[in-house]
Amino acid sequence: MKSSVMIRFLGFLSLLCGVLIVGTHLLTQSLIRVNQETILRESLTQLLPGMEKQVVYEVEPSGEIVIAHGQAGGAKRIFAGYDAHGKLVGVVLEASARGYADVISAMYAYAPEKKLITGLIVVEMRETPGLGNKIGSDPEFLANFKALDASHPVGAVKHGTKRNPWEIDAISGATISSRAVGRMLSASIGEMAPVIERHRERIERGN
Amino acid sequence: MKDTAPNPFVNGLWRQNPTFVQILGMCPTLAITNSVQNAIAMGLATAFVLTCANGIIAAIRKHVPKQVRIATFIAIIATAVTITDYFVKAISIPVYKALGPFIPLIVANCLVLERAEAFAAKKPVIPSILDGAGMGLGFAFGLTCLGTVREVLGAGTFLGFPLFGPNFEPWVLFLLPPGGFISLAIWLLVFASFRERKEAKERAALVEIQHAEVKP
Repeated sequence: MKSSVMIRFLGFLSLLCGVLIVGTHLLTQSLIRVNQETILRESLTQLLPGMEKQVVYEVEPSGEIVIAHGQAGGAKRIFAGYDAHGKLVGVVLEASARGYADVISAMYAYAPEKKLITGLIVVEMRETPGLGNKIGSDPEFLANFKALDASHPVGAVKHGTKRNPWEIDAISGATISSRAVGRMLSASIGEMAPVIERHRERIERGN
Repeated sequence: MKDTAPNPFVNGLWRQNPTFVQILGMCPTLAITNSVQNAIAMGLATAFVLTCANGIIAAIRKHVPKQVRIATFIAIIATAVTITDYFVKAISIPVYKALGPFIPLIVANCLVLERAEAFAAKKPVIPSILDGAGMGLGFAFGLTCLGTVREVLGAGTFLGFPLFGPNFEPWVLFLLPPGGFISLAIWLLVFASFRERKEAKERAALVEIQHAEVKP
C-alpha cells in the first residue's frame, strides 16, 4: 500500500477525533463549571452556617486585596460570608500541604476577631483509604477544628496528648496525614492572618 | 461444545469474563476496587469506552490500512476515553476526583485494545457493539465483586452504608494494595472451582452417553 494512503487516512482520523473531543469539551464545560460552583457553595455554607451572601477577595502580591471577578487565577482567595443583616459571619481560606500520598487541599473557616479556626473541610486528597483518608471524615478528628486557637502556631500532636487549644489531636494510624493538616493550617494562617487583620474593617463592610 | 458461535454479549459477561476468565486489565482491577462506588464507576466508564471504540472500529474496519491499524485503534480509544473523562467530570466531581488518573489510563487497558484487534476489526458493527457492552459490563461485574469484598471487610460498609454497627473493627488490610491481591485470588478460586465442577459434570455426562451407546 502506498504511504500517501496511510498518511491521508491517519490525517483524516486525527481531524475527526479532534472535532469529537472539542465538541464534547464545549458541550460539557458549562456543566462542569456549574458542578464546581455548587461544590464550592456547599462547602462555604457548611463552613459558615448562617451565611446568606458572600464576597470573594483576591490577595495581590503587594498584600492589597481586591474583589475577585469571574474565574479564579492563581491568587490566594478569601471568601467572606455575611448573614442576612450583612454582618460578617467569618472568612473561609484555602490551604494545602503535602500528605502521605499526594497534596492534600482543604478549606477552613476562620473567625478574625476571635482568631479561631471554626471548621475544616478536606477538598482533595489521595491518602490511604481506611487510614489517612480519615482526616476527611473522622468526627473525632474534625472536632479539633470547631474552635482551634490560631493566635498561637497550630500543629498536630500524637493521638490522645492534646492539652492546649492550639493543638490538633492526630488520628492514630494517620499521623503523617494529620501532621500535614496541621502544617497547612499554620502556614496558611501565618500568611493570611496579617492580611486579614490589616483589611479587617474593609472585609467587615464587605466592599 | 454445543454452541460454536456464542452470543457476544453473554460471552463477555460470563463465559469469557475479562476479569475472572481472561484476567485482563488488572491494573484498575487492583487499584480502584477499594470501594464499591469507585468499582462501579470505573467499570461503567470502561464499558462505555469499549462499546464506543468497538462500534467505531467495526464501522470503519474495511477502510483501515493494515499497517496503521494499531495506531488507528489507539487514536479512537483515546478519543472515547477523553470524551468519557469530560462526561464523568460533568456528572459528578467527587467521583471524578476519586477515580483520579485511572480514567485517562483506560487508554492503556489491554482489554480495550484486545477487543478491538480480536473482535471489532473482523466483525460487523452490531455484534461488535454487543461484544464491547458485554465485555465492559463483565469487567464492571468483576470490579464490583472485588469492591464488595474489600469495602465490606475493609471498612464495614457497602456503598457507604455501615453494615455492622459501631463496634466493628475494620480489617484495613483489605483496603490496602495487598487486600486487592487477596480478594482477587479468592474470587479467582471461586470461579475456577465453579468451572471445574461444571467440566466434571460434563465429562460424567459424556461418559454416560458413551456407556449408553455401547450397551445395546
